Amino acid sequence: MTLTDRLTRWRYHYVPDHLLGEILSKRWIDNAVPVLFLGLTLSVFGALIPGFFGADNMSNLLRQWGEFGLVVLALTIVMAAGGIDLSVGSTFALGNIAALALIGVADLPLPLVIAGTLACGALVGLINGVLVGYLRLRAFLTTLVTLIIVRALVDSILLSYAVPIAAAFPDSEPWFFMGEGSLWGTPFSVVVALIAAAGLHLVLTRTRAGWHVLAVGGSRRSAHNVGIPVRRVICLTYVASGTLAAGAGLLFASRLGAAGADIGVGMEIAALTAAVLGGNSLGGGRSSAAKAVIGSVIVMIMVNSLVRMGLTSGANSLLLGTVLLIAVAVDVRWMRNKHKFLSKVYVSPTWADLPVAPPTSAGSPYALNDRLAPVQSIGLGEIDGPEDVILDADDHIYVGNRIGDIIRFLAPDYTRQEVFAHVGGRPLGMAFDSNGGLVVCIGGMGLYRIDKDRSIHKLTDETRRSLFSVIDDSRLRLADDLDIAPDGRVFFSEATVRYEMHEWPVDCLESRGNGRIICYDPRDGSTRTVLKNLVFPNGICMCHDGQSFLFAETWACRISRYYYDGPKAGRTEVVIADLPGYPDNINRASDGRYWLALVGMRTPAFDLGLKMPGFRRRMVRRVAPDEWLFPNINTGCVLRFDEAGEVHETLWDRRGENHPMITSMREHKGHLYIGGISNNRVGRLPLPGADPDWTGMTSYWGQK
Amino acid sequence: MRLSGKLGQEQIVFALAVLLCLVFSVTLPGFLTGNNILNLLRSVSILGILGIAMGIVVIGRGIDLSLVSLMAISVGWMLNMAGSGMPLPMALMLALGFSLLVGAINGWLVAYAEIPAIFATLAMGTLIYGFGRYFLIDLEVAYLQGSAEVLSWIGQGSLLGVPVPIYAFALICALGHLFLRYAVAGRYLRAVGDNLAAARITGLPARPVIVQQYVISALIGFCAGIVTAAAVSSMNTRLALSTYVYDVILVVVLGGIGLSGGRGGIRNVIVGTLLIGVLLNGMTILNIQYTLQSVIKGSLLLLAIVADSLLNPRDEQTAQQGDI
Amino acid sequence: MGRIRNFLTGAGTAALLGAVCSTPLLAQTLDDPSRAGYYDALKGRKVAYLPVAMGLDLTEGWAAGLKAALEPLGVTFDIRDPNWSTDTGSQAITSLISEKPDVLVVHNPDVQSYARLLKRAEDAGIHVVQVNMRSSYSSDVFVGADYIGMGEQIGQRLVEKCSPANGGSGKVAITQGVLTASTSLYQMRGIEAVVGAAEGMQIVSNQAADWDSTKARNIAATVIQQHPDLCAIAGFWDVMDIGTASAVRESGKDIFVLTQGGGNRMACDNIASGNFSEVVVYHVGHQAQDMATMIRHLLQQGKPPGTSKTTLFTPLQFLNKDNMTSASCWDLPAK
Repeated sequence: MTLTDRLTRWRYHYVPDHLLGEILSKRWIDNAVPVLFLGLTLSVFGALIPGFFGADNMSNLLRQWGEFGLVVLALTIVMAAGGIDLSVGSTFALGNIAALALIGVADLPLPLVIAGTLACGALVGLINGVLVGYLRLRAFLTTLVTLIIVRALVDSILLSYAVPIAAAFPDSEPWFFMGEGSLWGTPFSVVVALIAAAGLHLVLTRTRAGWHVLAVGGSRRSAHNVGIPVRRVICLTYVASGTLAAGAGLLFASRLGAAGADIGVGMEIAALTAAVLGGNSLGGGRSSAAKAVIGSVIVMIMVNSLVRMGLTSGANSLLLGTVLLIAVAVDVRWMRNKHKFLSKVYVSPTWADLPVAPPTSAGSPYALNDRLAPVQSIGLGEIDGPEDVILDADDHIYVGNRIGDIIRFLAPDYTRQEVFAHVGGRPLGMAFDSNGGLVVCIGGMGLYRIDKDRSIHKLTDETRRSLFSVIDDSRLRLADDLDIAPDGRVFFSEATVRYEMHEWPVDCLESRGNGRIICYDPRDGSTRTVLKNLVFPNGICMCHDGQSFLFAETWACRISRYYYDGPKAGRTEVVIADLPGYPDNINRASDGRYWLALVGMRTPAFDLGLKMPGFRRRMVRRVAPDEWLFPNINTGCVLRFDEAGEVHETLWDRRGENHPMITSMREHKGHLYIGGISNNRVGRLPLPGADPDWTGMTSYWGQK
Repeated sequence: MRLSGKLGQEQIVFALAVLLCLVFSVTLPGFLTGNNILNLLRSVSILGILGIAMGIVVIGRGIDLSLVSLMAISVGWMLNMAGSGMPLPMALMLALGFSLLVGAINGWLVAYAEIPAIFATLAMGTLIYGFGRYFLIDLEVAYLQGSAEVLSWIGQGSLLGVPVPIYAFALICALGHLFLRYAVAGRYLRAVGDNLAAARITGLPARPVIVQQYVISALIGFCAGIVTAAAVSSMNTRLALSTYVYDVILVVVLGGIGLSGGRGGIRNVIVGTLLIGVLLNGMTILNIQYTLQSVIKGSLLLLAIVADSLLNPRDEQTAQQGDI
Repeated sequence: MGRIRNFLTGAGTAALLGAVCSTPLLAQTLDDPSRAGYYDALKGRKVAYLPVAMGLDLTEGWAAGLKAALEPLGVTFDIRDPNWSTDTGSQAITSLISEKPDVLVVHNPDVQSYARLLKRAEDAGIHVVQVNMRSSYSSDVFVGADYIGMGEQIGQRLVEKCSPANGGSGKVAITQGVLTASTSLYQMRGIEAVVGAAEGMQIVSNQAADWDSTKARNIAATVIQQHPDLCAIAGFWDVMDIGTASAVRESGKDIFVLTQGGGNRMACDNIASGNFSEVVVYHVGHQAQDMATMIRHLLQQGKPPGTSKTTLFTPLQFLNKDNMTSASCWDLPAK
């Protein structure tokens, strides 16, 4: 190993590149940026302003947050459905002046004042809602115009009522309590805002109405097509927004009693900044109460602190404008490029050095031949992707297919087939348990058992999450193959925790130990991870000693043996380290040896590429996926080896005509049945000299 | 323009303006006097100039909400510099340079950073105001003094009995019309506004064209600012935070320039401006209070948008995501 | 940044500084017994200043005057700029209450918004000085014009100029700032009392321009068109009435423009150019000086806030072309 190689190996061993993509693909990453920004804001102003973190200042900040928080929540509701409401500032002013007029001039009792004020806001919201929702006007312009109209209305009201309002001193205890009182040490307005935030959170995440709102925001067209009343939903978001904004104005009125013309001017910009900064997307569908709260807290701290620092006119606008611009830019660019970016960053190749591939020339145990020529096809063109093949005591063939069925070909001539069970997912490896139940690894779902009566039982679909994993590896993404120990424990491989079923070949570009072997114990229903960091663990086969199993690591071109019991319990031994191709399923042979399918053969180019992770990363980022250098998974073979690692025979189909694409094989009564994950048939090869009565069932569970 | 068949919004608005004119001249004494007509025109000429700037951007499928803010700050800065003794040409060049630079930044944000115009310019409007007030201008109101006093003729003088702002409006209208009709860049602008993707495939330099439209808007805005400052002898920077820019949009939309871009021309701006002028003038003579006038104006804008969306309805199936 | 740091109000402040500096000179043989107490009472004290917005001639003038008078004595002077936002202003007072400066100088946006907060500030031990615009809560000190009296004087001027008895049309328009500002409320009372009593006088328009010159211009243009025989417009602030004046000029009519302000150079320039017919001046320098004096008084007294109420009305001057001199107005130095 050269020094460069060694350095490369260390570099890829110790720098966890893959975490970046995993972190970025988390849902909370949308919230992480605002939270970081909040931390930044706090630390900057904390450093600049003495006593910033003092109890006094904190309680002041809290007190001031209530009304603004409500307005941002109002805007958030609308943004969740993909709209925008710029009239919140004016509605806030309207709420303020309406409340003051109702209590000061009209002298109404408080409940009527509250109801009247909220009704005013709801009415403005309704107008917006009808225009934007039902008449489908552009939200931005429409609410701009209502902003102007409502502002002009407020000015008109001021013209007639400002003086009486200023002269009136409402003599109502609860009225002042709304403005200045506290509940449990928290200012009343903050309590209201928190209740509103909690309510919004519940509605958006837990109720049908909230889902409708997010669905409309997420994809208006799809929402329309699935029958959600898009127009009504949009209209109602504006009504809610208007009501909340007016409510904020009501609280403001009771706090200051100010009937000025400046109330709420420019508030829409601050609120919009807060909402976008919190991570509420402008396109809609990605909103939450938490985002609104975070964003409003940041903006409030900034505005408040700038004033406290004695910075003069303009500083606030400068900062707000800059922050709004950056927040919108980040939002737009992130939303537009997230998937593109993620797909580039997510694949993180690592260094892998495969042993020299043994030759396949004459004289080698892997020598090419045409021994698969006599293969007969079963169900040619009628079956799509039988990854694994298994036969029961009555000689029926069971295979999985791409659309999630377990298909049964009926003995003896296998011309008839039926859907044995529809399980969904992608059925992969199969094994019979001692009762004849078919245990299946289903990609995307987990481990399932189908009993003889065709009833489907979930055995497990999760394991304990690793302590420091970023991605959630508790869920089973790609359960691949399994085998059952004599005591009933099911050992199964999960090929990779980083990729879903449909993109499993991409995992090879990483060639990192992303996979694991998991044990499901039916006796207590527990699931635990047995072996971790395996390079695409695939086939599993119980050894005859009842204490160990063989497993194949596909991209490492390696067969290993793991002892789960007996004196060597917990140890792993390499059986074959240098396969010429990528191993898939392993199954027992009638002579006590094992069958192994090689799904594809190694190529020098790709082997070299494995030592050049930088090259592979550049390839993934810059080249279209169709042009990527992938391992060959089209031409493979079947071979027979023993526990010592010696290969005894290899069966090839050189022309790839009889049975291309092999991922598994199963010996049954003197025949070898062959499956392939992207094949369209099941192959049947007579094995001259093999025990014509040997079946897997008897080998595992004895004669019944 | 359509020659026959359905009435376009421009025709409707023009007919409305004529109708209003007729009604006012019959019912309102003193409406149809030469003095009043000149007064009417002068009162909307600045709005009209800004309308041309906004119209050009809207035809290019953008919107410039920072127009008024940029105008107030750049002209305010110019007055400030001129007031503190700088020669006028120098101050003009500096302020104009600033204005064009900010226009180019607007364009870059929209064309290259691909931020929706509405948000980019909204944020830029606030940002420009803050920048100007923090770094460039100490006092809220910048007065026309020092070397800048010669400018006051532009706002307050008259030529052959017609106030100069009307000439300014007419001149910019003419230039804008020539640009949109006959200049290659103007045709590119209309093509980009009509269908950005198609224009790009055809090989038009779509992004530079977008940048150019914001630079033009900044340029015309600056001219409007000079006229404004000359007319009031001062520039109030708080104008930047007012709702004035929405009045400008009103003129453009009312005149029938669709917000989806590519359609309309200078004529639409003139028609929209006239209608607003007649309306304001009439309401003034009718003794309607200033705040109520705003309500009526806003409602009219709303009607114009509703009419626009009824004439060019959007469909659930084709409405674009995030198109707000 | 170029904020205005230094501001000399001319003779007023110079005399003030002279007074401060010349006291120690007398003490040649024996110590002035009050000297140590005076400096100790002021050293390290904090004064916070909250105008409606910085960047106006009035607010910048007060700030500069207070700074010049107080900072040499070791008083920290702190500006909070809410930039026309009542809400931001109220937040600033709330945080000031917990920061506890010794004196809070407030320029109220209207009579009501800060009233409760100012009371809380005084309860918390902060002296509150209100300048020019009064809140409905009376605090330790108010410095500013006597607005009712001022309104009466303005009313008399309007009557003199416009009443039919004196050959006018009797029609006057009034452009207020904010309707609920104390300046507006009190002045209107004064104006209405006088104008209402006069024979043939009529207030044809009474609107608020929110201290904005563009709005003022639009209002004035409207009113002039509605009333071609308008005789006078009274505005409540010269900066805003630049707009009024330009509307008058545009109309080409001879309308008496009466406005008011702090006596900044701009006012004199506009009187000279004929834009303003007359400006009622409350000298900003005097007001800053009054405030500084009261602050020093309060700090030396050491009595709890709210124990005394002092009102200092600023003398008014009706400036016009005839009585204007070069010293009538003051300058904010260029940056």
